[in-house]
Amino acid sequence: MKYSTFNQALVNPLIEPMFFGNSVNVARYDQQRHSIFEKLIEKQLSFFWRPEEVDVSRDRVDFHAMSDSEKHIFISNLKYQTLLDSVQGRSPNIAFLPIVSLPELETWIETWSFSETIHSRSYTHILRNLFGDPSEVFDDIMVNDEIKKRATDISKYYDDLIFHTQLWQTQGEGDITIDGETYTVTPRELKKKLFLCMNSVNALEAIRFYVSFACTFAFAEREMMEGNSKIIRLIARDENLHLTSTQHILNLWQYGEDDPEMQEIAEELKDEALAIFTSAVEQEKKWAHYLFKNGSMIGLNEQMLCQYVEYIANLRMAAIGLEPQYDQTSNPLPWMNKYLVSDNVQVAPQEAEISSYLVGQIDSEVSATDFGDYDL
Amino acid sequence: MTKPLRVKVNSDVLFEVPAQSDASLLQSMEQAGVEAHFHCRSGFCGACRTHLISGEVAYTTEPLAYVRRGDILPCVCVALSDLELEH
Ligand SMILES: [Fe+2]
Ligand SMILES: [Fe+2]
Repeated sequence: MKYSTFNQALVNPLIEPMFFGNSVNVARYDQQRHSIFEKLIEKQLSFFWRPEEVDVSRDRVDFHAMSDSEKHIFISNLKYQTLLDSVQGRSPNIAFLPIVSLPELETWIETWSFSETIHSRSYTHILRNLFGDPSEVFDDIMVNDEIKKRATDISKYYDDLIFHTQLWQTQGEGDITIDGETYTVTPRELKKKLFLCMNSVNALEAIRFYVSFACTFAFAEREMMEGNSKIIRLIARDENLHLTSTQHILNLWQYGEDDPEMQEIAEELKDEALAIFTSAVEQEKKWAHYLFKNGSMIGLNEQMLCQYVEYIANLRMAAIGLEPQYDQTSNPLPWMNKYLVSDNVQVAPQEAEISSYLVGQIDSEVSATDFGDYDL
Repeated sequence: MTKPLRVKVNSDVLFEVPAQSDASLLQSMEQAGVEAHFHCRSGFCGACRTHLISGEVAYTTEPLAYVRRGDILPCVCVALSDLELEH
């Protein structure tokens, strides 16, 4: 099934499944099979922000006043988040766009991935302010074993889906041998890989970010690194929306509101989906252990963080019909919530001025070109 | 004046809300001392997801989070009748 950037077959997108149907031709939104995705696009666009609008200059003083163990916690988390957003800034596009069949979902995927690139750019904004030359921090991501361990697990489901889709789109169905290894490519196998990948992305955005978020907001509780905290709040708000989108996809499959074969697969691979979640929980607990290896920080320790991971995992599992697995049913870090409330995300007045200044600048540029030939 | 509605949460908390409440169900639950789960408080994250055992609610904002069968999102709804909830 060769991919075409403009599928000339007449297809009715109102009866196409979300994935592995006919590829999309006209990007139209007047009729939609799953209108939720356009609502998510609108919400994501309403969230639009730029890292440069957030003043992080005061964080430098706070950072240099930190103990070495606190610096380790802060920088390690930024490295890990950089990894997560590096993956998320490209992978939904590369893995899902070649197989998506609905225009509203296609555009959601692009909008989603774009917002991840803003997250990536914000880490450079934060680190440049702290170090002038942040290259040492970024370079370490590629050699740090604790981060690399996680990178493997995060990218493997994407990579597997991408590779098998490439085989299918270039060679069709069947047993395909490449470099002495044989791969079985059938529509069913591809759909299974898609299901596992979607669960892995769901777990990533559901829990993987939250250990770092908790550390950031624990610093903010002490009125430290507040510029950074403001950026992370904007990122957390975006991530919550991304999470909602993968929860929608998984639930639509599970309830038989999309592709009936995906409903069967969701049932068949339920244990594997659960295992993806629980292994992400275990990895995050190990990450918490690594963060606090040189000592804790005020207001937060390894045990509380692990309890929080379990608490949040229970909520996320219930959202996709998995049985909550952990005893932690109450929130061990109640102060987290005030940073996750979306209404509380506001930029300071001087920062709001920056954006209105920019909007004004765009306006004046438009008027200069528009009326350039006229004698006003 | 319409009489207040009765809301029961987890079979151990019982409280009343006015029939025409300005507060979201989530706010009412919090005022009654329920330790509620929440994040966004505006219907898109789904963290406040609650099981509706009986009764009827009305949404004040359309939820963007997926609402599974039998569930409600108290951050964006109000009670329309007496309710029994599991949170
Ligand atoms: Fe992100
Ligand atoms: Fe994301």
